[in-house]
Amino acid sequence: MIFRQEFKWNLRGLLIWSIILGGLVFLMMQIYPDFAKQQENLEALMEAYPEGIKKAFNMDQISLGTVLGFYAVEGYMLITLIGSIYVVLLAGNIVAKEESENTIEFLLSKPISRTAMLTQKILLLMVNIILFNVLVSLINLAAFMIVDDGSFKFLPFLLMSIAPILLHFTFASIAFFLSTLLKKGRQILSVTVGLVFITYFLQVISSVSDQLEVLKYFSPFEYVDPADIIVNETLNGLYILFTTGIILICTVAAFFYYKRKDIAV
Amino acid sequence: MKAIELNRLSKRYGKHQAVSDLTFSVEEGEVYGFIGPNGAGKSTTIRTLLNFIYPTSGSAKIFGKDIITDTKEIKQEVGYLPSEAHYYENMKVRELLNYSASFYKKSPAKKKIEDLSERLELDLSKRFEDLSFGNRKKVGIVQALLHEPRILIMDEPTGGLDPLMQHTFFDLLLEEKKKGVTIFFSSHILSEVQKMCNRVAIIKEGRLIANDTIENLTKNQFKNVTILLEEGQSLNLGLEGIIQQEQIGQTLSILFRGDTHALIHALSQQSYRDLVIEEPSLDEIFMHFYQTEPNGGAEQ
Repeated sequence: MIFRQEFKWNLRGLLIWSIILGGLVFLMMQIYPDFAKQQENLEALMEAYPEGIKKAFNMDQISLGTVLGFYAVEGYMLITLIGSIYVVLLAGNIVAKEESENTIEFLLSKPISRTAMLTQKILLLMVNIILFNVLVSLINLAAFMIVDDGSFKFLPFLLMSIAPILLHFTFASIAFFLSTLLKKGRQILSVTVGLVFITYFLQVISSVSDQLEVLKYFSPFEYVDPADIIVNETLNGLYILFTTGIILICTVAAFFYYKRKDIAV
Repeated sequence: MKAIELNRLSKRYGKHQAVSDLTFSVEEGEVYGFIGPNGAGKSTTIRTLLNFIYPTSGSAKIFGKDIITDTKEIKQEVGYLPSEAHYYENMKVRELLNYSASFYKKSPAKKKIEDLSERLELDLSKRFEDLSFGNRKKVGIVQALLHEPRILIMDEPTGGLDPLMQHTFFDLLLEEKKKGVTIFFSSHILSEVQKMCNRVAIIKEGRLIANDTIENLTKNQFKNVTILLEEGQSLNLGLEGIIQQEQIGQTLSILFRGDTHALIHALSQQSYRDLVIEEPSLDEIFMHFYQTEPNGGAEQ
């Protein structure tokens, strides 16, 4: 019941976010053919860029001269970064909004266990995140079909579509845990949106500076780094383990805490 | 079978003891009033019964089921009306009621929603953001009655309802009572408690200070004695059982608890212009419990 109702409430947001984000990437990809034509000039230009910038945007490992390389540098960042913002906004509110708007009393007075309540809310998050990524990936795929110059490969594309789902699940689980913990939506938003940006910059910094390389382990963005995917055509096993660990710990903690929580409005 | 059974139920928030050692029970089919001023622990008790919050110690049962471990089954049978009903602002009343109904095994007839809202003059097509406090309360009432609960648990049920609506509401409650539904409600409006309830529990600072039928509380124990004196006269009966004595002008008011014969005997020795002996209202008893007996002096 809760799932159906939440799905109805969140459908519009889901469509708006995926269409705007997908559309943005779609438009961006339309530059690619011009870009590829001027490949040689471009490479000369690239040489002129400082090493740090190239590393920060993965341009030292990926060639902008392939469709997926271009996407990895220009579009993938939007999907992972902006997509994560969408996800934490959704997940951070999903439980806390019931408490801040005092509607939790309504739900708690119904014959449904707290565990079942959270399960349905988690299910909603999973379905929305997957739908969001599927929609965006479909729009991407259409863009690739239009601008492809023969360099498109399906496997890296598939991996670059799946990896953001893992990233989004990671942030969603953290935001979900906070959502069961705190009552004020605004607090959760500032913490989670902050976390998304900070971890994003950790990844950028860690790829620029050799001394700070160790920081990359603290950034979920590193776990889904597109350069790895394009170069190795696989997801890093260790990182998948990290991601799964974070998701499991946050989810279990949320259930455990919420089951014993005193909820007085 | 007992509808509600509390056994030394206590709830503490940090240093603040909200409810201490509450022990009382409500029989099935009874209308039970739970009274006390703001902050006495009424809402805390109700929220504990519904497992919104966990007791610090003690336990309670509803229809023999534990309020913590069996809370889901209990809620199939409970209709709950919160003191301030909050719903989803962007929802329409009808959507909310259908949503509410979808949680229960027994799905109510569509007609029941229509009937109840017609009697309460509730517009089903309105959105919550456009509803006043009183109208939200009406939604709460419909929502609490919809699934034909065996017990109604209500926190300050009449707050926000106008006198006409209160009347309709009490009619609805009487109908439920006739069906055998147990009604447990908290209130600080004693006239409505006196009108509706078989028994009451009075709670003060989280402790139970009286738990009896309204008759016992009002009839057997207390008498309001009003004596109209001669001009300039003052009177002191010096009788055991006088709880309160106050003279304003020529009127002497006494709250008396004790042997009525002794009272009549003492009065017959005196001269006065007029005399009224009556039962005090629940209000006066309540005030008495609250003002004069800090340790709670119910004879139990």
